Amino acid sequence: MKLITTDLLRRRIGDLGALPVMPSVLQSLTECLSSSAENVNIDRVVELISYDKSLASQVLRMANSALFRRRNEVESLRDGILSLGIWRIRDLVYSCTLPALLGNSKEGIAPTIFWRHALGTALVSQHLAQRLAIPNVEKFYLAGLLHDLGILVNSILFPEQFPAVLKLAETTETPLYDVEMQELGFSHCESGRILAGHWKLPEDISGTIEFHHHPPLAASHTDLTCTVYLADLLCRLRGLGYGYYEAREFDLAAEPSWQVLQKKYPAAAALDLALFTFELDEHAIQVRDLVDTIFSGAPVSH
Amino acid sequence: MALDTQTIQTNSSVDADLADPFLGKLRDLIYKISGIYHQEVKFYLLASRVRRRMAAVGSGTLADYYDRLTTRPNRDAEMRSLLNEITIGETYFFRSKPTIDAVSKIILPKLMGLNIKKSLKKLKIWSAGCSTGEEPYTLSIVLLENLTQKFKDWSFEITATDLNENSVTKCKEGLYGEYAVRNITPQMHDRYFTKENGLHRVKDEVRAAIKFERLNLQDQTKMLFMKGFDLVFCCNVLIYFDGVAKKRTVDHFFNGLIPGGYFFLGECETLFNVYDQFRLVHFPGTTGYHKPGPGEPAGGSA
Repeated sequence: MKLITTDLLRRRIGDLGALPVMPSVLQSLTECLSSSAENVNIDRVVELISYDKSLASQVLRMANSALFRRRNEVESLRDGILSLGIWRIRDLVYSCTLPALLGNSKEGIAPTIFWRHALGTALVSQHLAQRLAIPNVEKFYLAGLLHDLGILVNSILFPEQFPAVLKLAETTETPLYDVEMQELGFSHCESGRILAGHWKLPEDISGTIEFHHHPPLAASHTDLTCTVYLADLLCRLRGLGYGYYEAREFDLAAEPSWQVLQKKYPAAAALDLALFTFELDEHAIQVRDLVDTIFSGAPVSH
Repeated sequence: MALDTQTIQTNSSVDADLADPFLGKLRDLIYKISGIYHQEVKFYLLASRVRRRMAAVGSGTLADYYDRLTTRPNRDAEMRSLLNEITIGETYFFRSKPTIDAVSKIILPKLMGLNIKKSLKKLKIWSAGCSTGEEPYTLSIVLLENLTQKFKDWSFEITATDLNENSVTKCKEGLYGEYAVRNITPQMHDRYFTKENGLHRVKDEVRAAIKFERLNLQDQTKMLFMKGFDLVFCCNVLIYFDGVAKKRTVDHFFNGLIPGGYFFLGECETLFNVYDQFRLVHFPGTTGYHKPGPGEPAGGSA
């Protein structure tokens, strides 16, 4: 296969003008949420989401699923915003909107598999950040959810090469990133970064997308990048990966990313990593159920 | 052997227990004492096992039973009875696919690459607490499958030990019912079993490399002679020991392994707060413990 350089990649993406467009509800929502938390116009947010009836019902279903539910059932979006918080609703809107982008691609990664991994990484990133007592945990979910945006780009823009890359990764039981670098000359990190720029995603999220396979290279937002890197790996090892067996051994405590976090956050020393993995398995089952219900359109059981 | 996950008859009292917060408290208590963790998906099993003990001691509610395990004078004896109830049950061949995959696809190739092994070309495995033999026979089949295909000049030896004389006799007999072979494919059956009056007998080829012995893991003298293993399995045995005995036993396992060797516990057990010389390592769908080899970081992650 011919290697594609980042320049070529950029040109190809530019020429085709084929990059997925950011869903308009996300654009408006982002603008709406760009003011400080207390100034967010809740009515406007509710209006934006309600405009798309199926999106609104998906957001409500997700808000009431085992993974997100608080004590009381959320009956309206307004209730949801008040009980879960505005950032949580933003996360849910992102989670429900993005699967459609991959909807038309027949080749490449199966949408269900892709979104299980995205949702799993989002939840594990956030959970890990909470357990380590990292401040401002609200951004970890979104960074986890979007970290593999580049796989979506590769699936859409390289419908001939990318499925072959996936197939090769599967048959050799090798991490996808390694096979992308070897066969394409770039990875989903670079293409994801380009889409993030195109969509004007905040720098911390774009940085995570670009560096989530090499967190030590990230110049800033290392907490976020390191956490998402670890969550990504954990998900791949606990049944929320790319749908194939990756023959690899992973010593979390020896990972530079873990060491970075451990130095900064003393809570890491007390974390029972084996137990954390068992808890992750519980999440994994719920993530699978949730993604399956979102895709099948069946109501989420309470 | 590993926890029994067979379906347990459900009844209304078990249903009610699932909503009882004391079930979660019991789970946490059992984890603290034995290192066995029950995920929520297995609460049904936990509840039904606890119910049996409650009936035996005439306890009416989970709260009362919890009290018996924590504040009553005979709490330690009752905890032992409960753990017995939890770990009881028949086991079967090829019980944990993720562990078998980790051994075949990741660990064996790695061990066979170690300099110390390359000259001897012989692998040594210990199944400690082998119960009725399903585990060592499974390991023997896994090794036969791997070695006969790719590494014909390698050999292996499995030491299978149990405290219980009757279990050792049953092991040597190598005769099993339907339940034990439920995960064995017809091809695998043809290759490694023969039918005998409706039962399944392991072929001589499978037993040839296994040495069955009665061994008390608390026998300090004999334990000193258990040396030179590449892989040690000890599933759901440590739970019967107190903290000091547990640590001492695991220390023997650690010393019995070659540098670079691996140690596996039951699927829900951990060494957290028990022993810290091993490194906790993740494989797809399972976790194990690694004794650092030359040039690898020292322990401290368990």
